[in-house]
Amino acid sequence: MHLLRSLRQLNGLQGVRQAIRQVSSAPTKPSALQYERDPQPLFTDAETQRLLQSMTQLNLDKVYRKRTVPDNSSETKFMSNEQLDNEFQDLVVRAQHMLRMPPIVQIKKDVERVIAKDPALKDFANSKFVFTDITFGRRQSERKVFVRETDGTLAYATLDTTKRMNQLYFPLEGRQSYTPRMFALEELLAKCLTEHKYEFILDRLLVQYEPHEPEFHNISARVFEHLNESKQFDLLRSTRHFGPMAFFYAWHRCIDDLLYDMIRRDYLHNAVELIALSYKLHSIPVEYQSTLTELDKLHPTPAESALAELRSVFRRQEDKQNIEQEIHTAIGKTDSDFAADEISLKFIEQYIASEHSLKKVQLELAVQTLKEVNREKLLLFQGLKKAHGVQAS
Amino acid sequence: MSQTLICRMINRACCRNNFNYTQSLLFSNERILSNHLGLRNISFFNKLPAEDIWRGVTAVSNAGKKRGRGKGSGKKVAKDLNKGQTIGFGKCGRIWPGLNSPLIRGNELINQEKLSENLDRENGILKLRDSMGNFKMMKLNPIDRGWSGSKMPGRSIGPPDPVGDEEFISFDTRVLENKIVFIMKGNMGRKRRYSVLSVTGNCNGLAGFATAKAPEVRTALRKSKNRAGQKLININLCENRTIFHDFRTDFGKTKIFCFQKPDGYGLVCHRAIQTICNVIGIKDLYAKIEGSTNLQNIVKAFFIGLMTQRSYQYIANQTNSNIVQQQKTRNKFIDVKGMPILNSTRTRITHEVDYMHFTLGNQMVLKRKSTVPFYFYGKGHNLHKIKAERFRNQANVRLHKLVNLYA
Repeated sequence: MHLLRSLRQLNGLQGVRQAIRQVSSAPTKPSALQYERDPQPLFTDAETQRLLQSMTQLNLDKVYRKRTVPDNSSETKFMSNEQLDNEFQDLVVRAQHMLRMPPIVQIKKDVERVIAKDPALKDFANSKFVFTDITFGRRQSERKVFVRETDGTLAYATLDTTKRMNQLYFPLEGRQSYTPRMFALEELLAKCLTEHKYEFILDRLLVQYEPHEPEFHNISARVFEHLNESKQFDLLRSTRHFGPMAFFYAWHRCIDDLLYDMIRRDYLHNAVELIALSYKLHSIPVEYQSTLTELDKLHPTPAESALAELRSVFRRQEDKQNIEQEIHTAIGKTDSDFAADEISLKFIEQYIASEHSLKKVQLELAVQTLKEVNREKLLLFQGLKKAHGVQAS
Repeated sequence: MSQTLICRMINRACCRNNFNYTQSLLFSNERILSNHLGLRNISFFNKLPAEDIWRGVTAVSNAGKKRGRGKGSGKKVAKDLNKGQTIGFGKCGRIWPGLNSPLIRGNELINQEKLSENLDRENGILKLRDSMGNFKMMKLNPIDRGWSGSKMPGRSIGPPDPVGDEEFISFDTRVLENKIVFIMKGNMGRKRRYSVLSVTGNCNGLAGFATAKAPEVRTALRKSKNRAGQKLININLCENRTIFHDFRTDFGKTKIFCFQKPDGYGLVCHRAIQTICNVIGIKDLYAKIEGSTNLQNIVKAFFIGLMTQRSYQYIANQTNSNIVQQQKTRNKFIDVKGMPILNSTRTRITHEVDYMHFTLGNQMVLKRKSTVPFYFYGKGHNLHKIKAERFRNQANVRLHKLVNLYA
């Protein structure tokens, strides 16, 4: 019995120690990479958004992957071709909606705004009074919260209090009133990161914090930094976090690892877009618009290619298989792809040669290997076309 | 008292029997007395030896056995009632000099004497009898158990015996029904046999079932197992775990509605169908039986239903429309399962058809309305709901607290 008690005491001590550690090494400590000026205008810019969306890509199998839901039933239906096509379009629209990026905005600072000072009300009560406007249907950002201090001062509540009041009266599903342990304890977050659960962390972060909160910035910066080291960029592709990640790297001039990954995976147009984005953010005087427009003509947007992929089921059932299409599927590239690759490679090489790239040797090697593979593919492509009597272009 | 009784009995005997007999009785007066004392209460208890009496209780007559009586024979065992008893010691504790005690102790002569009643002895004997001859249930490993206790239905009897070099690898046979049946024979009359229905399969879409009869249970089991192995049917499984579509099937008065279910649903159906599904390799299924639950008919109906399943492609061609599946786990992603080959460009549904109605053959399962319990609209229940409302989130809060306390 005595032993048990002493054990319990020890446990209690451990709890205290942990709490101390929790406070000292909270993962919300400011990261090294901060947005020194407001990134919002550049982020919400239409061109930037288009670039980021294109880089995110749209892999429907990943967007609509199996998730855990309370009701896992399925429904089987008869559909006509028109209905099916409508559903396909709807599917792409829904996917685009799910891939909408969380905004990158500046950290909001608390400003003290006093409405009135009534010294007569001093010590009227020994606790503060919080007044919240709970009108139905008002947005969280425009909900007014005031605090009457014990010294009689009536002022706008701090951001923290406002958020807490909002959560109290209009709770957001999944958001907790207290900091989740995952974000409070350093070792838990570190464990998540080493297990490469980046999407999970970012999703939870988005639920728990507003984009203008310092915690949001610090933790997301940490995740992106860890990602840059582990180089598992593909985990975030086709999720809503890829755009902010690319923007983060471009802003902080560390795109080279992501660029290398894109070249290795043969996403050359994405690589071009990434370079263009970094040029744009740092207003480097390099002409990138013309290359982008040329590539846009040759490349369909992610939504278009996703829809085309879905619609391929209609094509398959047609009696006469198009031989040209068969060659395309066998090689994975078309004429326009080869043309686009040439333009993008030129642009990428130009970047590697410039003083902006940091990992020149690595990138050059990647480009060289890709070029060789592409050359072989092109030869095979042309040979196949000739053999099948398809007019060579 | 006893003298007069004996005289009366002798008189009665005189009246009934002939004179000679009476005379002989009169001549040997001594013998009469002892003989007639034993004849006072005549019943089988004192007419028959213990062995015969016990046989009457524990065994079944030959004729009875033929009729199928005494199924529990072997459960009752003869008890030796003499165990624990000694002459001279009985219900009423008494000292009988010369029987349970010496005649003389020292210089004193011991007299008959009543002792205080001894309950322990009586209880001890009863306990001894209880422990004797109690039937012990056969112990069966929980894994080997069937549907109920140590009964055969639901139990595994191993793969069918190999035919030549062909072995039934990874097969398992389960008994579905084991019963006694009778037929009339010209020379033997009512003849009893055991009938066994069993199903065998390899958990991968190959299965068969058969009934066999034999005078012995073991023979019947073996026969039906081997016969089932000879009647294998190939059943295609959807995604290697469920059926291709909902279907309705019947045999006799048994109607079965089977429903395709998502991964992880399990088998929610009659135990016979569950056993069959396990043997075939179906993992997710809901089945509702309407009408008779005759086991043989259930098995037959279910197998017929499985065999008459049609592929998505076939249904698409038949209805000339596309078949699409939307899973909620994939956020209602469109999964095209089948497209018609003909008239692909003009695929149009002329009349509104529901897929489930189509596959069930325009039949519906009778769904009973959910009824609320009798107290639901009562005043007390209303009060309870009001009281319980403030604790509605307590479990969650507790859980959350535990999670946060965990170090």
